[in-house]
Order: sequence, then structure tokens, then C-alpha cells
Amino acid sequence: MKSNKSSQDGNIVIRFFSSVRLAIFLFIVLAITSIIGTILPQGESLQFYLENYGPFWFKVIRTLHLYDTYHAWWYLSLMALFSVNLIVCTIKRLPYTLRLFRKDGLNLSKEDVLRRPFKNSWLVPQRTNPVDIKKELKGLFYEMAGKGRSKNVDGGELHFIEKGKWNYWGVYLIHVSVLVIFAGAIIGSFMGFKGRVMLLEGEITDHAIKTDAHGNIKKIPLGFQVKCEKFVVNFYPNGAPKLFKSDLVILNNGKEVLKKSILVNDPLTYQGVTFYQSSYQSVPDVKIKVVSSDGMQKIVHLSAFRDRETWKEKGLLIGMMKFLPKVHGAPAVRLYIGDIGGRDGDAIWLLSGHEREEKFGDLNLKLSLLEAQERYMTGLQVKKDPGVFVVWLGCFMMVAGFAIVFWVGHNRFWLWLGEDGKKLNVILAGQTNKNKVHFEKEFKKLSHEIQKRIGEA
Amino acid sequence: MDVNSSYLLSLTTFVYLGAAAIYLVYWIFRLEKVGILGTIITIGGFLLETAGIILRWMESYKLGYGHAPLSNLYESLVFFSWVTILVYLVIEFKTKNRVIGAFATPFACLAIAYASFSPNVEDSIQPLIPALQSNWLLAHVITCFLGYASFAVACGLGIMYLIRGDKVKSGNYLLDALPTRRVIDDLMHQTIIFGFLWLTVGIITGAVWANQAWGTYWSWDPKETWSLITWFVYATALHARFVRGWAGKKIAYLSIIGFISVIFTYFGVNFLLSGLHSYGSS
Repeated sequence: MKSNKSSQDGNIVIRFFSSVRLAIFLFIVLAITSIIGTILPQGESLQFYLENYGPFWFKVIRTLHLYDTYHAWWYLSLMALFSVNLIVCTIKRLPYTLRLFRKDGLNLSKEDVLRRPFKNSWLVPQRTNPVDIKKELKGLFYEMAGKGRSKNVDGGELHFIEKGKWNYWGVYLIHVSVLVIFAGAIIGSFMGFKGRVMLLEGEITDHAIKTDAHGNIKKIPLGFQVKCEKFVVNFYPNGAPKLFKSDLVILNNGKEVLKKSILVNDPLTYQGVTFYQSSYQSVPDVKIKVVSSDGMQKIVHLSAFRDRETWKEKGLLIGMMKFLPKVHGAPAVRLYIGDIGGRDGDAIWLLSGHEREEKFGDLNLKLSLLEAQERYMTGLQVKKDPGVFVVWLGCFMMVAGFAIVFWVGHNRFWLWLGEDGKKLNVILAGQTNKNKVHFEKEFKKLSHEIQKRIGEA
Repeated sequence: MDVNSSYLLSLTTFVYLGAAAIYLVYWIFRLEKVGILGTIITIGGFLLETAGIILRWMESYKLGYGHAPLSNLYESLVFFSWVTILVYLVIEFKTKNRVIGAFATPFACLAIAYASFSPNVEDSIQPLIPALQSNWLLAHVITCFLGYASFAVACGLGIMYLIRGDKVKSGNYLLDALPTRRVIDDLMHQTIIFGFLWLTVGIITGAVWANQAWGTYWSWDPKETWSLITWFVYATALHARFVRGWAGKKIAYLSIIGFISVIFTYFGVNFLLSGLHSYGSS
């Protein structure tokens, strides 16, 4: 990210897209604009915005797509610009980092060693055998700082130790990970789907329902069938929900292939499609016996979702208007009885255990409530997202990158031993690209040990 | 009085208050013994708080709910103060500078005081609703709060940086007791990277959890969005170092703005905006 002034910097477009200033500008703009969608309600009807914010702000909201801020053209453009910035930055930095990575720490002159940020130099009168003290200092250096290499430089020997050289790639890992996450999100939005399924206990479906922003309902075929065998809801003594559970069965070509009880945090996946427990409803389910005066009879089965049935032979239409689970201890249902043409109709109450006679047109009907119960209907979120693993891969890369950036530093130590007239010149130098305070301590400690050893000599 | 976890935890508030006061006295009079006393009191408070948290965990089992004490605002505030003290103690141990205590312990004290004494914060142990019944709860809350606590300490360091001034020896008795700007800046940068790492992991564990519970790893819920806004602020702070003229003061300001954003992510979203995380307000 440190800009190097080479000839390729001449292109103003590349310079613009690769600058850290642009990255900072985008961070700030994204931070500020992201606030909008947390304050302004998202995904409401246009009517809602007109009524609540007046004609002026309505125009602003509609033009800038603020009712769905995070998918607005300008927000996605900012994200795209951010990606371009990342890509150009990464490519442009690559040769610079490669140079840093390939740079040989031994390829330094004595003068270069003295120019390192941390350094110390001693002159030792050669009272003792110079070979001995050199050997001792070398031993000390490698013992404290680790494994290394050496080379003859400027009439002396240069010893070099480095650690964590690969930390330069940590930043790349983070930057690339952002792009990988974006790629995963794009894959998911183009190749996946999200929908809902509402199933009564015992019911089967082969498709999910998707409602778009304009309220249109679309059927998404699943390619197999899903059945809810049972739904259970439990509560804590204080009334808070404790457990929602649906026993699901997957059927493929009529054959049972998978069976699982799903919980809120424990979904079921089959052929890349995942079913999540998301809600439930309780719905009435009643069976009514209707007998006409000529002896013909029909069992009418009504539920909240099959709320009317016809009796063609008699030209009748029977529907459920209301269900009460307990009236004087027994369930009751309010029925609508009319002709199929819809010209005439009555509403009556039917109580469990009480047969009721009803005259309708020229028909004399006897009605009785055979069965009445409340059944659970489970609400499932259905999702297929082939991009999600790409997103997790990106997340993993990002965390690994941060760990490297945070914990690994490129620490380098040099020890030069050479003659300076009649004296032995000892130079210790160090350099780091991370945590200078910590490195300084390490350097001082090493320095101190060398000082001590020289003092003894 | 019956010794229960709430009692131990409200007691901790006063211990941290005492620690903050003593660090302040240490900063003013610079008596080594006072400084050591500050550390001892802080460690004492930390142990007391740890005991309180463990006791609360046990109490939840006695009630038949059995979950880690990380499930509502009260518990998260307590945990926040606990992590803040932990992060601070690590920094004190590494830098051997106790003046930082005067800037860090007040955050922990305020958090636990708010938890213990605000009428808005319900301190009874609640059972876990189905959405919270997940092993990800632990990973998500711990990582987020490691981030939040680091940012609290970074904010303290930012304030310290701004009042410290440029000169190594300013002649001002109080200011000269503080580490030099170079040291504070380096410490602040390290703390921000550390916090950023955990915030990132916190956002990711949240995404994994949301994907498991609802089938969406990111739904632009206000809490998610605000955590992303916070992420952008600290991303700015981390990149600012590479732009000439942005280092130093601007980063100190950013660490303060960043923490304001953290506070908003933490409280503001619960109280002012609604969304998936709104259960956190009870």
C-alpha cells in the first residue's frame, strides 16, 4: 500500500483505482449510506412512503431506490467500485510485495546494515583470541534469534536471521477474501432461490412459494416432495416458546428417501435444498355431514385453506366463515350455505353434538358437525444457495489473513563481525514491519546479552 | 442478604469504581504502591465477577433452563465489562503501564453499573427461545464482545493519545506520566487490529448461525448493518496509516468514532430500531 513511484504509476486511471485514498473514501461513504436502510423502513409498499414522508421525500426515496437501499443501483455500484479498487490495488502491489518477499537479507553492505531502524555497534579491543569471541557472539546470536545464514561482506562476516517473511501475504488473503465473499453472494443470488412452504400435518407439496417485491406469487418446483408428518410446539411455564419441531419426510418418485425432525437451529437439507423451521399457525379442520330430505348425503371437509366445497348434485356451496374451538365446551363453526351461482345464501352456526335442520330454497337439510379440531400448520423457509460454501471459504480466508497480519511480523536480525584496525567491530541490527514496541524489547535483550559477553572479553 | 449472582455482580461495580479511582490517584501522585493496589483491586473485582458469572450459570441450571449467561442485555453487559477488564489486564501486564487503567476501567465499571442498576435492564434469568438454542450463541457472543471490549480499550487509548500531546517531555506533570504518543499509537493500532479480528469473527459466526437458523447468512437486519458500519469505521482506521497526513490524530479520532458506532450497534439498535436482534433489549 505504500506507493512506489515507478513508471506504471503514470496512468491516472490506474492511480485512481489503486489508491488507498479511494478505499478510505469508499469505507466512509459505505458506512454513512448504510445508515439509511437501518433508519428508513425497508421493503414497504410505495404507498407507505408517500403517506409517511410526503411527496418530496417520496420522490427521493423512489429515485434512489431507498425502499431497498442495499440492492439499490448506487449502493451496488459502490460495492462494485470497492471491488475494482481491491483488484487494482492487489495487482499493482503484487510486484512490490514480490520484491519484498524475494529480497535477500544477506544482500546488504556494511553501510546498509548500519542504516536499519534498530542498531548497535561495539568496538572490542582484541585482547582475547578474536576467533573465540566471534564464535561466542555468533553462537549467542543464533541461540537467541533462531536459525539463519551467513555470507562474507565488506571484509567481515554477515549473519542474518529472519522470521515470518510470509506475513506479507496476509493482507492479500484478506483482500482476496472480500472478493471471494462477493463471488459467493453473486453465485447465490443467480443460482439459488428462497421461498416458503406452509404444510398442514400430513400434507405434501412439491413446490415452494415465492412472493416478489410487488406481491406476485411464484411457484418454485422442488424436484421432489416434502411432507410434514407432525408439528409440535412447546412453551415454558412463563409462556415463552420453548420448542418448534416439524417431522419432515422427503419423497422422491413416491419413495421415502429421508426423514428428519427439524428444529429452529437444526434444518434439513436434500439435494442442495434446505428446509428451515420458521413459523407455525394453528388452523381449524372440520368435517360436516349434510343429509338432504331425499336421503342423499355428503361429507364436507373444510379447513382454513379449503374453506369451501360444492355439492354439485344439489347445486350447493358450503363454506367455513369462522371457527371457535370452545363454545360451552364444544367446538362450533359458522357456515355459509348458498347456491353455486351465488344468488342466495345463509349463514348458520353449527355446534358439535347438535344436529341442525335448515331449509334452503326447496331443500330440507340436516347438518351435523362430525369432527372439529385445530391442526397445526408448519411454516418452512426453503432455500437453495450453492454460493454459501464460497462465502464460508472467503470468511475462512479473511480470518486466517487477520491472524497472520496480527500475529506474524517479518522480523529480521543482522550481526556483522569484522576488523576495524586492531579492534573487532560488532554490529547488531534489526528491522520489523509489525509491533515495533515488542520487537524493540527483543532487540534490546539481544543487544544487552552481546554487550555482556563483550564486557567479559 | 441471600448471596446470588446479581448481588455478586452489583458488588463488582463498586470494586471497579474503586479500581478506577485508585488508578486515577496513581496517575496523579504516581506512588508505585498505589498502582499495585489498583492492579490488586482490579484483579479482585475480576475474580468476583468471574464467580458471579459462574454462579449465574449454575442458577440457570437450578431453574431448569441451563444455558450460558450470555443470552440477554444484562448478561451481555456483564460479559462486556468482564472482557474489557481482561483485555486491559493483558495490556497492563504487557506494557507495565498502569496509567492506562484510569482510561480503561471506567468503561467496565459503567457497563456493569448500567446492567446492575438501570431499571431498563431486566436481570432475571430467562429461558432460551428456540432461535437462541444453538451452540453458535456462545461463539457469536464471545467473539463479538472480545471485539467490543478491545474497541473500548482502543477508545480509551485514543482519548489518551489526544490529551498526551506531541512532546515527549511537555513539562506537564500529569501528561508526562502517560506513555509517549508513539507508544500509544502502536498500542492503539494493535488493539484495533485485535478488535477488528474478533469483530470479523463475530460477524462471521453470526452469519453462520443465521444461515443455520433462518437460511440467510446476511439479511441487512439493522444489527447486522450496524456491525458492518462499525467494521467500515475500523477498516478506515487501519488503512489511514498508509495515507500521508492521516496517521496519528485522525486514527485516534477514528477509534473514538468507532466505539460510538460499537455502542450504537450494541444499544441503539436494540432500543431505537427493530429487527431480529430485538430480543436483546429485554
